Amino acid sequence: MVLQTALLIGLVIFSVLAILLKDLLKSAISLAAASLLLGIIFFRMNAPYAGVFEISVVAGLITVLFILTIALTGAGHDVRESKIVNWVFPLVFVAFIVIDALVMKSLLGKVPALPSGTEAGAFGDVLWKGRTLDLVGQIAIILAGVFAGLALFRKRDKHD
Amino acid sequence: MTNTWYLYLFFAAALVFAGLLGLLGKRNLIKLFIAIEVIGKGISLLLLSTGFAKASILTAQALVITYIVIEVSLVATALALIINIYRQTKSLDIRDLAKLKG
Amino acid sequence: MIILFVVLPLIVAGLLPLVGKVSRRVLPDLLANATLLFLLVYAAVAGRALIAGGPVLQQAAWLGEAVNLRLALDGFSLLMLVAVSLVGLAASLFSIDYMEHYGAKANYYALYLVMVAGMNGLVLATDLFSVYVFLEVAAVASYALVAYGLGSDELEAAFKYLMLSVVASAFLLAAIAVVFGMTGSLEFAAVAAALKELNAGAVIGIASACFLLGFGLKAALVPFHAWLPDAHPSAPAPISAVLSGLLIKVSGVYAMTRIFLNVFGLTPALSTVLMVLGAVSMVVAAFLALGQKDMKRMLAYSSISQVGLVVLGIGIGTPLGIAGGLFHLFNHALAKGLLFLTSGSVQQATGTRDLDAMGGLAKRMPVTAATSLIGSLSIAGVPPLNGFWSKLIIIVALVQAGHPVFAVVAVLASVLTLWYYLLIQRKAFFGKLDEKWAAVKEAPFWMTVATVLLALLCVGIGILFASTVTTWIQPAADVLADGVHAVTGSWGF
Repeated sequence: MVLQTALLIGLVIFSVLAILLKDLLKSAISLAAASLLLGIIFFRMNAPYAGVFEISVVAGLITVLFILTIALTGAGHDVRESKIVNWVFPLVFVAFIVIDALVMKSLLGKVPALPSGTEAGAFGDVLWKGRTLDLVGQIAIILAGVFAGLALFRKRDKHD
Repeated sequence: MTNTWYLYLFFAAALVFAGLLGLLGKRNLIKLFIAIEVIGKGISLLLLSTGFAKASILTAQALVITYIVIEVSLVATALALIINIYRQTKSLDIRDLAKLKG
Repeated sequence: MIILFVVLPLIVAGLLPLVGKVSRRVLPDLLANATLLFLLVYAAVAGRALIAGGPVLQQAAWLGEAVNLRLALDGFSLLMLVAVSLVGLAASLFSIDYMEHYGAKANYYALYLVMVAGMNGLVLATDLFSVYVFLEVAAVASYALVAYGLGSDELEAAFKYLMLSVVASAFLLAAIAVVFGMTGSLEFAAVAAALKELNAGAVIGIASACFLLGFGLKAALVPFHAWLPDAHPSAPAPISAVLSGLLIKVSGVYAMTRIFLNVFGLTPALSTVLMVLGAVSMVVAAFLALGQKDMKRMLAYSSISQVGLVVLGIGIGTPLGIAGGLFHLFNHALAKGLLFLTSGSVQQATGTRDLDAMGGLAKRMPVTAATSLIGSLSIAGVPPLNGFWSKLIIIVALVQAGHPVFAVVAVLASVLTLWYYLLIQRKAFFGKLDEKWAAVKEAPFWMTVATVLLALLCVGIGILFASTVTTWIQPAADVLADGVHAVTGSWGF
């Protein structure tokens, strides 16, 4: 539990860093580190499949996509972020954390829930037989993403 | 709901809030998208920890995996938009995208 | 085989890029439109027979083993399927000519069909998370379609649309996670039954608020409407038609209504919130529409206003109010689809969307002017067109349910609507023919076919409104008026 909490704190720190860091490349790497920690957190929750997906896809693939974009767009050096935001962000965030902690403490035990049943079957069955419609949805969203890429990067023969 | 759920909910809420703050304050398009990714992390943490608390970790994993696949498609589309915007306007500043007023 | 509604467009979409390599125009046009025509015929003809005996539940079997591919077709889903197929087909026919100069038509149709598949999947799903998945499918396809022209306006609009949509999705998933946490299940029937047992007022309130935020943004209700007036005008005309006519209704109004009425149950508090949101959207957007110079922007604000009226009608909660809201949803899909298509015809002919620059186009584009007039009068609620009846039903329902103030507001908003639509008609089509439009020609064949089709439907449904209501709207309204019982009783798999 202690380790899990430490990992969670690390996750939040790296995520906040990813948002606040000035250099885009460092931001992307910080985000990847956060994903890595999240994957480990998933592992420790007995969710190895989700952990693997998080690490390989989010920390891996998405980071690569980000770095590609950063490279293709001149690393956004000319965008000057607002200086005020860099001060306001941590303050507001810390304030939120305090409120968050207080709210959670007061909510302890207040959310009513039905007793949980046992879960039968292996993960494969749950995914393939239990959530098959979601798989159709996944195929659809992959098609959407692929066609979106093809559409947005197509060669224009004539001008509009 | 078990007490550990509230712990995870605390961190998930922190992540989502950090992402929302980033969306409000940042100007670089890619930074904005990183903020969105952070929100995504918060949400997948919330989903999985809910499943963990309900002893439905397998279902929760299926949900999170589907969610991650959706995110990949989303990121690919968004980054394609960003690259195109950069090619057109040579800028990644959200303030330069002010032609349309909403 | 209601799975076809989802799977068929996907398969054709998958094949289209390959087909597109062989034939740039004819085959993709043919394939895409044939698919949509098939779905329309299936929904319209076979649909009614299917649901005559109660909701159709399909649990598919894959290679002999039962898989959880659970789809449910009841009156409400069928109404949405017919609307999606109708407007989808019309916009697709329109695209045959309109999308010529955008290039890569096969790719366009592929995205279009994926969007349709997403909308159909959303409407047929029986599970909270599946609703979310298909909502995203349609959304991602729509981002690319909004940006399809690759102009800087379109890219900007698509990007902002994407940003706001992702925030909406986050709130939706948060609500879904909370409901999952409370009930241990995601299926509509199981969740509805569990929630009745639990009696979890405050937490359901929070979940409802998150759902409202998410779906309200998708439906572009004020104050979550900021993305729509940029996204809908910038998109190519047929996409604007589908976005305003279908997507905001399917991912916004349908999903919200299904969950609030059939799964959570419509409490008086929720009813009030919906009615207030609806009324505010209706009025604010109507005022904002008045000041617009851009034709499509005015139409976009009008969409926000009319969706507000739909939500107001459904929010009343009485069977008559729900019926009125659903009827108006259907009518608006047809009429707004029609209006965006005619605006596309005008934009293609004149090269502009600026109302002040147009004038007297009716002389050169009589068919477009006529269909546009029909669409405008329909939305403005002029008898005997379809819009008149749906608005009347909502207003009557408001009075009957004891909300005279809302009724008056609705009537005033209708007057405003009529005013700005007549403005569009006068500025664009009537009046003196401006010199520069002397050489303008009527819209190409397929574009005209599409608009005429929708216009005829507006007129036809207006004249035959009684039978339309009893055969299509009533079954849908009954399902919703039943509330939670509709789902717990007959949807148990």
